[in-house]
Amino acid sequence: MNLLLVDDEKKFASMLARRLELRGMQVTVCFSGEDALEAVNEKKPFDIALLDVKMPGIGGIELKRRLREQYPSMKFIFLTGHGSDADYQVSAKEGDGYLPKPLKIDDLIAALKQLDEGV
Amino acid sequence: MTNMLKNLLGWMVPRLQSKDDEHLNPYFTFRDYRQIWGMGIFILTTTCLLPLVVMTLVYHQLIERSIDTESLLRTERLASNARRAVTFFLKERLGALTFTANEMGYAKLSAPDSLTEVLRNLKLGFGGLADLSVIADTGTQVAYAGPYNLEGKDYSAQPWFMECQQHNACVSEIFSGYRGVPHIVVAVKSMRPDGRFFVLRATLDTERLIQTLAAFKTGEHAELFLTNREGVLQTPSVYHERGSNHSSIPVPPFAERTRSLLATSPDGQPIVVGYAFITTEIVPTKFILMVVKQKTGMMKVWLDLGRQINWFFAASAAIIGLAIIMTLTFMVTKLFQADREKARTMAMAEQNCQLASIGQLAAGVAHEINNPLALINETAGYIRDLFSIKKQYQEDPELVELIDSIIEAVDRCGTITRQLLGFARRFDVQTQQIDLNSMVADVINFHKKEAEYRNIKIHVDIPETIPLIETDRGKLQQIILNLVNNAFQAINNGCFLDIQATMEDPGHVRLSIHDNGCGISEDHLKKVFEPFFTTKKEGQGTGLGLSITYGLVQKLHGNITVQSKVGEGTTFVITLPVQIEKDSES
Repeated sequence: MNLLLVDDEKKFASMLARRLELRGMQVTVCFSGEDALEAVNEKKPFDIALLDVKMPGIGGIELKRRLREQYPSMKFIFLTGHGSDADYQVSAKEGDGYLPKPLKIDDLIAALKQLDEGV
Repeated sequence: MTNMLKNLLGWMVPRLQSKDDEHLNPYFTFRDYRQIWGMGIFILTTTCLLPLVVMTLVYHQLIERSIDTESLLRTERLASNARRAVTFFLKERLGALTFTANEMGYAKLSAPDSLTEVLRNLKLGFGGLADLSVIADTGTQVAYAGPYNLEGKDYSAQPWFMECQQHNACVSEIFSGYRGVPHIVVAVKSMRPDGRFFVLRATLDTERLIQTLAAFKTGEHAELFLTNREGVLQTPSVYHERGSNHSSIPVPPFAERTRSLLATSPDGQPIVVGYAFITTEIVPTKFILMVVKQKTGMMKVWLDLGRQINWFFAASAAIIGLAIIMTLTFMVTKLFQADREKARTMAMAEQNCQLASIGQLAAGVAHEINNPLALINETAGYIRDLFSIKKQYQEDPELVELIDSIIEAVDRCGTITRQLLGFARRFDVQTQQIDLNSMVADVINFHKKEAEYRNIKIHVDIPETIPLIETDRGKLQQIILNLVNNAFQAINNGCFLDIQATMEDPGHVRLSIHDNGCGISEDHLKKVFEPFFTTKKEGQGTGLGLSITYGLVQKLHGNITVQSKVGEGTTFVITLPVQIEKDSES
């Protein structure tokens, strides 16, 4: 599974990437929306993107819209740390899945598997 | 009875302040209602009663003055009338004697029995004569008619004889003489055909004169009497010195006409004295006619009227005073109750706002703690993964790095918790030294994420020259937080917020919070500090934020102003004392 992980919390993103790699997944980590767009341009499209909702500059929702335009087959899971109802509602509506931080790794894996099998 | 008294007291004294209200004291508009009540009563009573007092005093003055003038005039008139009567009494008798002496001549008058006939006729015609005698120029009595036979008696050394010789007539003082009966001697001098003179002398009853005077006595308070020029009483009077026949009224200065004056009687009563020096056209006399009137008795009607005016004044004053006290008691009580109601609402609103702030704070903290927690979660999860999936063991250098990562995340949580505790401390009411710069930084920190997301630039300019200010930490923090919150709600993404501090004067710091947001219209600007004023939709704003901020600034003895232009932005300026006066901090 080829994953894109975008989160402005650098340490959190790297740690999560390592855990996913341990489970045999290929993860590209970006720390901002802008970086993610570049990464997507350089590499081939990813199967699934894990996006933080609130980021300085291009936020998760905006990033998803742009990527969806380019790669309609890409799936998106939103990670929300803000805890507000509005964020949940937006990410539930916009994304193919959404998970609150702190994450339960098993829930994430389950969501990823479900989407992957759907592909 | 006791209940009625209590009811009445309730109407007269306002019931103010109970001990349960002490925590409301800072919210009251007026501090001392009892003082307002007292001042109100004093001012209203003074204003209402002053004209009444002045009128009454003026009235009394007028009465007194007119009483004096009137009594002087009346006494003088009475004295004048009595003088005319006394003068006439004496003149009539002198005239009769002159006529008799000249008509009859010395020879006829000195013939025996003829004088008795003359006396009888005079008694018939005039009355008041006791005896009649003819005295030769040697002073020897040559003929006598009357009850005492004093023929042959020598009068040449008597003062009246000498006076008569000099002035052709005389009127003696009242004296008892040889007879021991008070009498007046009147005598006239007449010439004999041989060139020598003789004197016709009559003795007058004083009874007749006293009766004449008594006829003028009007009322109980008047007293008429005669004295001589040395003040010796000639007719009886109550005004005599004890044990002597001297008048107790001092002898007045000589005057041609009737006079009157105000004096005090020996027993301290105010009196009016009228007097006249009795002089007949034929001969002057030694008599002074005195009229003494008691002022109080004489002016009883006036004084009674004065007393009635006093009663009227007292009753009016009592009614006015009572009405003022009752009205003020009612109004001050109502005002106090309304103010207490307002204070209760304000206190409750401030409490509500504090609760709202705590809620907001808790949400912010939860969000901020979430990120470090997510990191702890992943890091710890990874360590577990390493053990369960990768089968890597101890002494792996990566593990140390991972543990450091966990510690750092915990440290981040700790920082946030400390800040939260810093906020919680705002409920303390003690003053302390506060660094404005770090406090503003604390507040901004809570908005850092939001500012990042919304691309809002926050510029803080607090120079190091701003001293530590001594004030209430929690209240100042809430003031700044409220204003920054307000600004964040007013500005769009991409705008800026400018926080500046300067010294207004050595004792005051000026903190301005400026944004370039939507601004406030002129109409609304006047009302922004009013409680419950809001432009937000119903249910979204309480309209208490700025009102409470205003209250808090007042509590810190500061001042807050606002300037705004629609579309250009808003500036709030707070002026705070560098050192708060401790006594009034509640």
